[in-house]
Amino acid sequence: MSENKVIVANKGMVRADFNFWVGRYMDKFYDNFEKKKLVGNKCQKCGNVFVPPRKVCGKCNVVIPLEENWVDLPDTGILKNYTITPYRVNDRTSRKTKPQVVGMVQIDGSNTAIIYRLINIKPEEVKTGMKVKIEWSEKPKGDPSDIKGFVKI
Amino acid sequence: MEKVGIVGYYQVQLQSEANYGRYEMIFEAVRGALDNAGLKKKDVTTVISCTNDYYDGRTISNAFSVEVGGAYLADESKVEMDGAHAALYGLMRILSGNHKLAVIWGGSTPSCYPYHSARLFETDPTWERPNAFVNDITAGGFQMRAYMEKYGVSAEDIAKVAVNNRKNAAKNPSSLKEAQYPNLTTREVLESGIYADPVTELMVSPLCDGVAAILLAPEKQALKITDKPVWITGVGYNQETYYLGDRDLSTSKSMESAGKMAFKAAGIKNPKDEIDVAELSEVFAHEELIFSEALGLAEKGQGVKLNYEINGDLPINPSGGALGGNPPCATGLIRIIEAVKQLRGEANGYQVKDAKKAIASGQIGMCAQNNILYVLEGGN
Repeated sequence: MSENKVIVANKGMVRADFNFWVGRYMDKFYDNFEKKKLVGNKCQKCGNVFVPPRKVCGKCNVVIPLEENWVDLPDTGILKNYTITPYRVNDRTSRKTKPQVVGMVQIDGSNTAIIYRLINIKPEEVKTGMKVKIEWSEKPKGDPSDIKGFVKI
Repeated sequence: MEKVGIVGYYQVQLQSEANYGRYEMIFEAVRGALDNAGLKKKDVTTVISCTNDYYDGRTISNAFSVEVGGAYLADESKVEMDGAHAALYGLMRILSGNHKLAVIWGGSTPSCYPYHSARLFETDPTWERPNAFVNDITAGGFQMRAYMEKYGVSAEDIAKVAVNNRKNAAKNPSSLKEAQYPNLTTREVLESGIYADPVTELMVSPLCDGVAAILLAPEKQALKITDKPVWITGVGYNQETYYLGDRDLSTSKSMESAGKMAFKAAGIKNPKDEIDVAELSEVFAHEELIFSEALGLAEKGQGVKLNYEINGDLPINPSGGALGGNPPCATGLIRIIEAVKQLRGEANGYQVKDAKKAIASGQIGMCAQNNILYVLEGGN
């Protein structure tokens, strides 16, 4: 039998890069990254503090006004959950020798957890409930890459 | 609810790399379901498909499957979730009173697309997607750890589910060959390599190519078509919030609500005693325990104590479940088919004795954000 012919569709012809505007709430969130600061916002009805900030509290089904209810938050939190994986997201064919530790961190003063990598830590040292802190990049640009990761404190 | 019957079904052999292509597979499944019921293309009045544009590598991908899916100049629409959700759409088309026969098919061929990259497109593009720490691989790890730590369940207990389902898959000829392990041990599951700690490779449902199809008809037509109809007596569906950090991953609130809705419709008061067999879409071994607890089949954290083997008190996934092969968009529809086989006494090699009432579920999203559950009953 002859070998199967494979066509790699679109290679070199089409790219479809999306330029998402992050919106007014996330604009403010990322602006604060430039000052190495974390902000969230609070639902005026249930009192839950969201980080990143949200336009709508899903549970209460109310808009959180853009100019109100902002909360300054520390860059520390509690590790609520974690996982360790040898895989890159888009490649399960090769396992990395140095697995990545990814944690769910509840920032102090907030009611939700955010998912980010843990750095400078050995997998066996990771424990749920431990205190962690953001390691900011030296020259923040106001985008998600400003958070290098969370470190143990 | 007015009675709607499942009158035909077909599932293609699951394969890691089906070299005969997407269109032939769709045709085989839809034509197979019609043959199974002794019907013809002209009998079809509506077609609901389930695929995903990202998985198919083209937009409005059902535009390309019209002819092979039996929808040539027919009433056709698509659901971009799981085939079990497409069955809900088909059920509503029948209940509208306008249709006499609905074809529902779903499936995809992950051998020709980067599945995990496609899944990344589910995540929030303004926050989570750029760094990709949230993805379908890490989500499985978070979910299993949340469940273990909340209830003190061991990884070994979860490995037992993988052993049971993969042994069951070995009895089911239409499951994925590579998923079949007739002699698997919990130790082998635990030592099969880390996928996303604490999830190991053999606890993950293996991706594969596959398409499945079912036929739905209103009661009167169903009784004309077959002497072995299976009735949909209840259906429930529910969706949780998107952000994983907002959810209690140790349980499944959406499955709990879906269960309540479906059991109420079917008049089931005590699911543990009334249901004879369950086919649940478990993308990971731990999800089977989380789901069975959410459905009230076991107390929270006690799912592993259920006697879920084929000859047990409440057999779960006698077909092998999704751990016996996970073709995206077909997986939940195959659970419905497997429940139908049990109720019709056609599950050769893994038949549950005297199965009269079954449940089957489908899911979509990270950590099963959305679940749908059917109650099915045999007999005319």
